[in-house]
Amino acid sequence: MSALKQLASRFFGGNTVFARRTVGGIQPLPFKEHSLRSRIMSTPIPQQLTIPIGAEESGQISLLVGIGDQVRKYQRLAVISLHTDGRSDVPVHAPTSGVITSIENSIVADHSEQQQRCIGLAVDGHDEALQLEPHSDYSQLPSTDIVSLIRDAGIIGMGGAGFPAADKLSKCGDSAPEFLIINAAECEPYITADEALLRERAGKVVAGAKILKRASAAQRYIIAIEDTKPDAIAALQQALQDDTSPETPCELVLIPSKYPAGSERQLIQCVTGREIASGQHPTENGVVMHNVGTAYAVYEAIVEGKPCISRFTTLCGKALKTPKNFEALIGTAADFLFELCGIEANNKQMSIVGGSLMGNELTSDKAVICKTTNCLIAACASEIATSKPEQACIRCGFCADVCPSKLLPQQLLAFSRTTDTTQLIEHGLFDCIECGACDYVCPSHIPLVSTYKKSKKVIETRQQSLECSDYWQQRFQFRQYRIKKEKEQALSRKTDSSTKPARTAERTAKALSEAADFISKEQASRDIAAAVARVKARRDEKNK
Amino acid sequence: MSGLKASAPFQHSGRNVAQLMQTLLYALLPGVFASLWFFGFGILINIAIAISFAVCAEAAMLRLRNRDIRSHLSDRSAFVTAILFAIAIPPGSPWWLVALGILFAIVIAKHLYGGLGQNPFNPAMCGYAMLLLAFPLEMTGWHIPNEVINGQLAVDSLGIPTSPEREFLNPLSWEGFKQALLLAFPFAASGATNVSEFVDGLAMATPLIEFKMAGKSAILAARESGASLFARDSETAWEIINIGYLFGGLFLLYKKIISWHIPLAIIATIFVLAALFYAPGSVTIYGTPYLHLLGSATMIGAFFIATDPVSAATTRPGKLVYGIIIGASIYSIRVWGSYLDSIAFAVLFGNFCAPILDQYCRPRMFGHGLSSKSRRNEEALEP
Amino acid sequence: MLPLISHWLTQLVIGTSLLLITVFVLLQINRYLQQQLKTQKSLVTRINRALPQTQCGQCGHPGCLPYARSISLGEASNKCPPGGLETILELADLLNEPVRGLDPAHGQFRDFSVAVIREDECIGCTKCIQACPVDAILGGPKLMHTVIAPECTGCDLCVEPCPVDCIDMINHTAPSISHTTISHTTPLYFNTRKLLGASS
Repeated sequence: MSALKQLASRFFGGNTVFARRTVGGIQPLPFKEHSLRSRIMSTPIPQQLTIPIGAEESGQISLLVGIGDQVRKYQRLAVISLHTDGRSDVPVHAPTSGVITSIENSIVADHSEQQQRCIGLAVDGHDEALQLEPHSDYSQLPSTDIVSLIRDAGIIGMGGAGFPAADKLSKCGDSAPEFLIINAAECEPYITADEALLRERAGKVVAGAKILKRASAAQRYIIAIEDTKPDAIAALQQALQDDTSPETPCELVLIPSKYPAGSERQLIQCVTGREIASGQHPTENGVVMHNVGTAYAVYEAIVEGKPCISRFTTLCGKALKTPKNFEALIGTAADFLFELCGIEANNKQMSIVGGSLMGNELTSDKAVICKTTNCLIAACASEIATSKPEQACIRCGFCADVCPSKLLPQQLLAFSRTTDTTQLIEHGLFDCIECGACDYVCPSHIPLVSTYKKSKKVIETRQQSLECSDYWQQRFQFRQYRIKKEKEQALSRKTDSSTKPARTAERTAKALSEAADFISKEQASRDIAAAVARVKARRDEKNK
Repeated sequence: MSGLKASAPFQHSGRNVAQLMQTLLYALLPGVFASLWFFGFGILINIAIAISFAVCAEAAMLRLRNRDIRSHLSDRSAFVTAILFAIAIPPGSPWWLVALGILFAIVIAKHLYGGLGQNPFNPAMCGYAMLLLAFPLEMTGWHIPNEVINGQLAVDSLGIPTSPEREFLNPLSWEGFKQALLLAFPFAASGATNVSEFVDGLAMATPLIEFKMAGKSAILAARESGASLFARDSETAWEIINIGYLFGGLFLLYKKIISWHIPLAIIATIFVLAALFYAPGSVTIYGTPYLHLLGSATMIGAFFIATDPVSAATTRPGKLVYGIIIGASIYSIRVWGSYLDSIAFAVLFGNFCAPILDQYCRPRMFGHGLSSKSRRNEEALEP
Repeated sequence: MLPLISHWLTQLVIGTSLLLITVFVLLQINRYLQQQLKTQKSLVTRINRALPQTQCGQCGHPGCLPYARSISLGEASNKCPPGGLETILELADLLNEPVRGLDPAHGQFRDFSVAVIREDECIGCTKCIQACPVDAILGGPKLMHTVIAPECTGCDLCVEPCPVDCIDMINHTAPSISHTTISHTTPLYFNTRKLLGASS
């Protein structure tokens, strides 16, 4: 094996390494040639932008602008806080200058099925920008500064999960990770955004990777890419060769082209050999992973000082005359981009956000790009696998052969039919990454992924209601305790009326100290004050 | 909120159940042709009877269960059950035997448990086992036309033999076809034509005659004596047929219709046990491993019958244990039990064990079962 | 190999080891079952877990735990409207009983709702605060009363005592504790057994 490795390094240059085989997986037709025929295009600025600022369940939204305000490019519009302690603040910036017209719910082209709060921006066309603060010499900055710059730029994971990049980096704070992996393994069919980015701007990506390495204090950093992307690999190797800095160089790892090799845990195992335990985060195992698009955004944020206002999105599908990759502004409507590609509307059967295996149907073409939209497919009828009627599961086991998490989909299906929670959890339902490989190979055309999504939801709802009932029971029992105590106090007060004043003080102190054993008064009053403030804030919000 | 949305994935591999069954049928062809060559049309007549009754029974049951007949029949599972069953039944069996067996298989063993995908037991083997228990005599006789096995002396009009040599009837001739039909539909026979000859009662569907098992490979014997491997009077018939099914099985493996676990486990177990208990001089039926594997119906059992996905174990480690159980059962029932052809009972026994194998023989899931240091958060959700 | 295997010594060894293996397996199974018995919660606890803890009293008992106790003593388990069909099914499964429909004398199934006080009409009488079984209403005498929505169980007990009838039950999405409200380090989580002593 090592002889092979040496041969590979000599042929491909320097630090190129072939990774081990991945487990399971499928090799669907990639459909990637069409969108790679042309270079990445910047879009003309649309007249209306609808910038998503997050669903309500994802955290608190603090608006920094109001309707009618004039904003400039790069100006902060809102901050989404996922935690109360300000750790995970993700600011949202204006992609161009204009006037705020609305703050309401709109459809966003992401993987959830809900609408999100969005800020409507009427573009004035001047593209007036705020002054930027580039830090071209980032090697002098301490890592905490780099992390806060990344946080201020509002960068979230561009691979699709949308986890705040600064959060991931600050999680590595305690123990420096051994590996930083830049995920360029775009394994899903139709999506070519990362490949196009690497083909044209590999140098900036490598610089971004270096910044991330500094921010995370990782010991080694690796770019992992599929071995079927020759142009991107060549560009990366060129960029790595041109990189003359004295630090440890970046390693390039080629992985076998199998879907879903680019899934986080599977890729980590493929590249480093480490298997992350279920329920643990890779950062707890000394690995941190970022998407290629995130690395590029980090480069722009630090070296050019530009916050995250655009992303690379693939527009493809047979209903488009000229599929291509765009550098699209956040908040651009999908139909605007479809028009730019020359869409044949009567040919289009369905719009899909995401790739063909994990994407969702877009119910409306007015949906807007958010920071995690990597692909929009305008599919015509011949491209979509016709939904055949579902037949009985014949337990052929093809699904178990391809599952990247080594689960038993046929068993999960049987247990989902009866919602046997214990068995579902034991068989690893929550380890399912919903990649769709099992669905792809099932000869009985059973919609496996939707079944698992439904079961997960049922179990999570049940889990939530159990949490609620546990909490309510606690509150009920505390109330009974409170009443009992009050009765006892009233009783002892009646029998002891003579020594009232001194006794009262003593008793109060005693009761207080007793209660302090079980409940901290200040904490309670703080909680109550916070609750009151929240109710007020929500009311103010509603009245806005 | 969203209405009815189409869900991912939007790409499919294009495989479907009908395609799988079709490939399986192609894989059976070499063995069927070999059987046809050596033993005549009996097997085809069995197949024809079985298919017709199977399709009618399946249609009737689907109608009774209020299912769409066309879509369910088109998945060809009834064909596969019928053909596998018909191959197992001795050629030359009366038509009502085949019909009874396949009706039991389709109606009771398959549809009364819920149809395709729901039957816990292999339907073809259920039918075969029922016949074996209910009609032992008919099932243990190997009906081969006398003229094929022993040949007949050519006689002139007075009944005096003209030459001392016996002429063997070609079972594939028109005469052979007529004989086979007469065997299958005995009510059509007129008078006392001695149509069939029972080969020794112990021999049954696969003539595992004692001396054969203790002896050498018939193919090697034929090569040594210079006779043709495909001569009908040699004893190479069964080995050739089994090799045909072996090729069919390897074709299935190549096409990735079945996985290698069950066949390999069965064959390995039988090989090991046969090697362990091989006793050349003893009177009982301990034969060489080669003969256990190729001198009987082991190959078709290992590749086609035991791998029926619905009733077999479904996890990969489970399949290995399943194969070992079936292999051990085949060997034990054959050698120490009263049924020489034990595939049916062995497979049914394996089917009994399959659910518990599915529960306890699971492969390690990704991210589970790692060292305790990394297992901190595995119990995240409480059932 | 046959002579070796039919030798009496081999047979003895094989027989003894099979016997020992069987005994070992049975002992392990026994140990596992004992462990399961020990860690299994009491029947009352399991019944209580199936109940929604709304503490509404529609079943005729002053709370969910008393009802759970009397179910374990044989009372009908189909008297809980807030639990919905899930509770009835789960209890039937737990107690090995046939599934019965909700007893109409104890109410109807309803969607989850929370109480909302129309603050313009509130007179500050504290009657609803006294009625709330989980202390989800904030307020004091002559002060504004407010229902803390994440803590409201939807039990409906506050609506009747209100003299000015200013409380509405508004349909809500499924109950969920928002994690910004409750932090699990709040000392509100405590050992109720210890507190209530023998009366619990």
